[in-house]
Amino acid sequence: MRPRVAVAAGSAIVLFAALGACGKNTGQGTATDNNRTTTGVIATDPKDSMGPAAPVPGATKGGTFYVLRQPKINHLDPQRVYSFAGLSAAPLYSRFLTTWKDDGKGHLTLVGDLATTPGKDVKGDCTTWQFTIKDGVKFEDGSPITSKEIAYGIARSFDPDLTGGPTYLQEWLANTPEYDTAWDFKANKTSLPPGLTTPDAKTLVFTFQKPHCDLPFAASLPFTAPMPPAKDTGVNYDNQPFSSGPYKITKIVPGVQMVLERNTNWDPATDPVRHQYPDSFVWSYGADATAEANRIISDSGPDASAISWDGVPSTLTAAVAGNASLKDRTLLEPTPSANRLTINMQRVTDLSIRQALNYAIDRDDLIKALGGATVASPLTTLMPPATLGYQQYDAYPAGPNGNPEKAKQLLNGRTPELVLGVADDDQDTQIGTQVKNNLEKAGFKITVKTIPQDSKLDETKKKNNPWDLYIDTWGADWPSGASILPPLFDGRTIKDEGNSDTSFMNDSAINAEFDRILAMPPAQQGPEWAKLDKRIMTQDAPAVPLYVDVAFYLHGSKAGGLFIGSVFGYPEFVNAFVKP
Amino acid sequence: MSLSPVEDIALSEFSPGTVAEPAAPGSGFVGRSPGQLAWARLRRDRVAMVSGGVLVFFFLVALAAPLIQWAYGTDPQQQFQDSLDLYGMPLGYAGGVTGSHWFGLEPSLGRDIFIRMVYGLRTSLFIALAAGVITTVIGVLAGVLAGYAGGWLDAVIGWVTDFALAMPFLIVALALVPTVSLRFYGPREAVPSSFRVAVLITVFALFGWTSAARLVRGQVVSLREREFIEAARASGVSTAHMLFRQVLPNIWAPILVSFSLAVPSYVTGEAVLSFLGVGIVDPTPDFGAMIFRSIHYLQTDPTYVFFPGVTIFILVLAFNLFGDAVRDALDPRSNR
Amino acid sequence: MLRFLIRRVLSATLVLFAISVLTFLMFFALPRDPVTSMCPKNCNPARLERVRAELGLSDPLYQQYAGYMKGIVLGRDLNSAEGGHCAAPCLGYSYINSEPVSRTIARVLPVTLSIVIPAAVLWLALGVGLGMVSALRRGSVLDRLAIGFSLTGASLQIYFVGAVLLLVFTYTLHLVPVPHYTSITQNPADWASGLVLAWVTLAFLFSAIYARLSRAQMLETLSEDFIRTARSKGLPKFRVYGQHALRAAITPIVTIAGMDIGGALGGTVVTETTFGIQGLGRTTWDAVREGDLPTLMATVLIAAVFIVVANIVVDIVYAFIDPRVRLG
Repeated sequence: MRPRVAVAAGSAIVLFAALGACGKNTGQGTATDNNRTTTGVIATDPKDSMGPAAPVPGATKGGTFYVLRQPKINHLDPQRVYSFAGLSAAPLYSRFLTTWKDDGKGHLTLVGDLATTPGKDVKGDCTTWQFTIKDGVKFEDGSPITSKEIAYGIARSFDPDLTGGPTYLQEWLANTPEYDTAWDFKANKTSLPPGLTTPDAKTLVFTFQKPHCDLPFAASLPFTAPMPPAKDTGVNYDNQPFSSGPYKITKIVPGVQMVLERNTNWDPATDPVRHQYPDSFVWSYGADATAEANRIISDSGPDASAISWDGVPSTLTAAVAGNASLKDRTLLEPTPSANRLTINMQRVTDLSIRQALNYAIDRDDLIKALGGATVASPLTTLMPPATLGYQQYDAYPAGPNGNPEKAKQLLNGRTPELVLGVADDDQDTQIGTQVKNNLEKAGFKITVKTIPQDSKLDETKKKNNPWDLYIDTWGADWPSGASILPPLFDGRTIKDEGNSDTSFMNDSAINAEFDRILAMPPAQQGPEWAKLDKRIMTQDAPAVPLYVDVAFYLHGSKAGGLFIGSVFGYPEFVNAFVKP
Repeated sequence: MSLSPVEDIALSEFSPGTVAEPAAPGSGFVGRSPGQLAWARLRRDRVAMVSGGVLVFFFLVALAAPLIQWAYGTDPQQQFQDSLDLYGMPLGYAGGVTGSHWFGLEPSLGRDIFIRMVYGLRTSLFIALAAGVITTVIGVLAGVLAGYAGGWLDAVIGWVTDFALAMPFLIVALALVPTVSLRFYGPREAVPSSFRVAVLITVFALFGWTSAARLVRGQVVSLREREFIEAARASGVSTAHMLFRQVLPNIWAPILVSFSLAVPSYVTGEAVLSFLGVGIVDPTPDFGAMIFRSIHYLQTDPTYVFFPGVTIFILVLAFNLFGDAVRDALDPRSNR
Repeated sequence: MLRFLIRRVLSATLVLFAISVLTFLMFFALPRDPVTSMCPKNCNPARLERVRAELGLSDPLYQQYAGYMKGIVLGRDLNSAEGGHCAAPCLGYSYINSEPVSRTIARVLPVTLSIVIPAAVLWLALGVGLGMVSALRRGSVLDRLAIGFSLTGASLQIYFVGAVLLLVFTYTLHLVPVPHYTSITQNPADWASGLVLAWVTLAFLFSAIYARLSRAQMLETLSEDFIRTARSKGLPKFRVYGQHALRAAITPIVTIAGMDIGGALGGTVVTETTFGIQGLGRTTWDAVREGDLPTLMATVLIAAVFIVVANIVVDIVYAFIDPRVRLG
């Protein structure tokens, strides 16, 4: 055997040389529009809740719309839907009590979906909410949707087997987090949970023991989707949801694809937001984000009418954002998902240290480490800009690269030794390195402790977790401060495990503020939350706000009507169509 | 899942019967031992010399890493994010290659690729060599025991070999790597990279010894029936003498080859572990992790893929070529 | 022969049993609790405990294990949500996939078979072909090229070759469609074009060993007396090389092929990930990540069955090809 090393090595070099003739990178590029803010109202005029939805300019009927995504959607059963992918797909095959009319530019109106209005506060104190169901709303088999089926859907969300979904309605109705012991669904399948009544086929009434002014918002989540009791197959319902929306699921191959076809019993005249342009939608699973992006860039065959759900991976952004021919095939918007460096206030009790952390952080370099402006956008507030009533402020102004000198001043010669917990996957450990190097410049001593990726969330949510710092993300369920600040910072909610208040902040003055604002009509809460946001940061500094995720998506040249939803920050399909 | 097909090759290229007979004492003209003969053949082999030279070079680089760092003037953890654009990609030509950053900068964190490769070589070679030595030792022990003792011991070792082969590598790696560090280190203690390295070596050791064991067992079984062994047995020597003076010297050739082919399979195996998320993690510089990370930048920063990719390719190729050459030298019959 | 078979099968059963116990224990050692992922926001320990009990995850381990194994051997009764009685071999019900595990397996197993079997044919043909040619043309340019090619393959990695092939042939040149799986019974042409990149990648990487092996064996065999005798008898070249020499050279190739194919059938997770095809390997991987015990047990056991069966088959094939080997 006498092979020539040169033969082999030469072939490798040719291979690489073919990969890219390199030009000079001078650092040009487009930045994200960070100034988008959200305005929103709850519709007061019942006309807003009436269909049909305004036609989408240029939209035509027909064709198949493809959605490429790596993992399958974990739940399709509307009572269990809570993932972003599920929240985007669910409106295609199910309708809810209320829903958001969204222009994709941050202008939101909450309207009635199956209900004629987004709910009526009967007594004016947010304890009794009444909904009237529209005429002419039907399931996929043509049978009418009444308040009974909606109530049954809500009732079954009490079943502990049906894991995964949100729990607002259950907890509010039962008036306890232990709602499934308070009311046992399996033993009471023919009755309804406490506080939920259907006086007649058109009327649904929620009666709460405490005021819940956010009910109209909460009712927009898929767990208010209707379901005829006869169609309930328990945990198997994930594979065959019974449609009330413009499309019905006709085929599911787990891990491979899901096919939705037109539901002829859906009446556009009853629906204020959805359209029915494509003949079918196909969710196709398996390809990773890089493969998806490359397929869309190629724009051939079915991929021309597709969107890559997993977004443009940060490793490819330079190629996509720098390619002018792709410009009109991208969607680029900041999302409401806010990331913060949580400070465990049980351990870091000294306010000046928490403030020093805020001065020290270098958001600019952190964002570079994350993959740049199309991945993340800097944030100095606890609430993301996409919150109703948002006001920009920076409680610890230190510039985009931080101010290590100011931090050192606050530390006054001390060297706090802090432990930063990060998941042990590749991305998170790199961010750990970034934050460590950044903070150590300002006089901290940081130990990066890796936590097994699959248990990182559970572990940091434990009350007595041993770490001082960790990065948390919060995606609110509706764009109100009420679904951001109280869950994250109300110290009265702290329990042994499963905390959302991972700073473990418990400030009685702030807690009282939460109660005061929550009792106000939702329309007036916005500015109050913004003020409280600033107050929390100034007084307590329970976290270092870092960045909001930026949505950066590519779609084929024939995919139309797509926009980034203002509520969750993911692609929405209600206006989607296939260009001929 | 087998770590790499490469390691199996040694197993079957030595069919029983190709073992060199021990040189009869006093019968040679010059009195050269088989080892000396092999060495002479190896030295005449240009491929062996070149690939051997490449390997020596890599070993020297790995050993001299701190020295190189001193001369080069850049720390493997140092970040140069000012030289990155707003997407976190290196500015300038070819992934930020400049006089002070010979191989350019990593996207995102902006660390120097050259110095991280030097240190990464250290980590990767250490893991591969340690795993290679351990698996070879375990494999030889198990193989000799099974082959020489036979009977129930052979059956038991054979069963354990089957078991190790069928063991779900993926699950073991995933369960072991994070769990073990939780057990040994407190929740606020950083796990030193040396520990993670040790765990990876253990994982490789658990799975990698089987081919060496099967190879050695086969050799020993065929040796057992040879005249010189029977003669030694008849003269009543101890078992230890038998194993170490009679059997082992006759099988070291295939062992050496299996070792030289196993090492590169661990270098690439370690990259696979990174691919699956259980390899060496940041900030420890490591070849496997680097390759895995860089592959995503194939379209946007080919330079980042090029340098680590070509280096690991040359490294593995050199190991394979050298392994072949050693086999040829030790076993001239396979290469007339 | 029969005694040998019985002994091997018994030993293999014991291996499978040990693997099943190990996997089971390992699952519970994994640093994740499958239940916590089931209630995302607002979770509390009491409710987690109820969910755990509901899924049967709070029973003692030996009880869960015994239940699972009983299902495989005798079948067992699952609760109504899981589809009622489940006949042997019952692989259980996956809450993550919301379907019986047997249905998952029935779907992903053909995918892995479709990747591995044609790839194995390709790498064997390529490897043995290259090895034979270079042995017969020893020292020629052809020899060097063949061996250089195979060594290059052996020194590269699947995800690396895969990424480059995808970029060049699929995304840039549009010669090969995006990798996907279609059943061969549905559309053979689509089946082949969807998997061809995976086959080529695997063949390129795996054929190296066979090329080197068959070259070495061939050279060795060619110098044996019986070949020289055959040649001097005036037998045609083709018959000598094709029948006598190859037959003698093939034994070690069978060993390695058995191990490689057996291992690959158990799942080619890296290949499947690189090409985005959901086969047995990806499914195992997802099951680990998602904490899906029934699916994990099934996939691991199936992979182990492939490996032990391949080993037994190799031993039997040995006895047929090489009369010197006696099974006893």
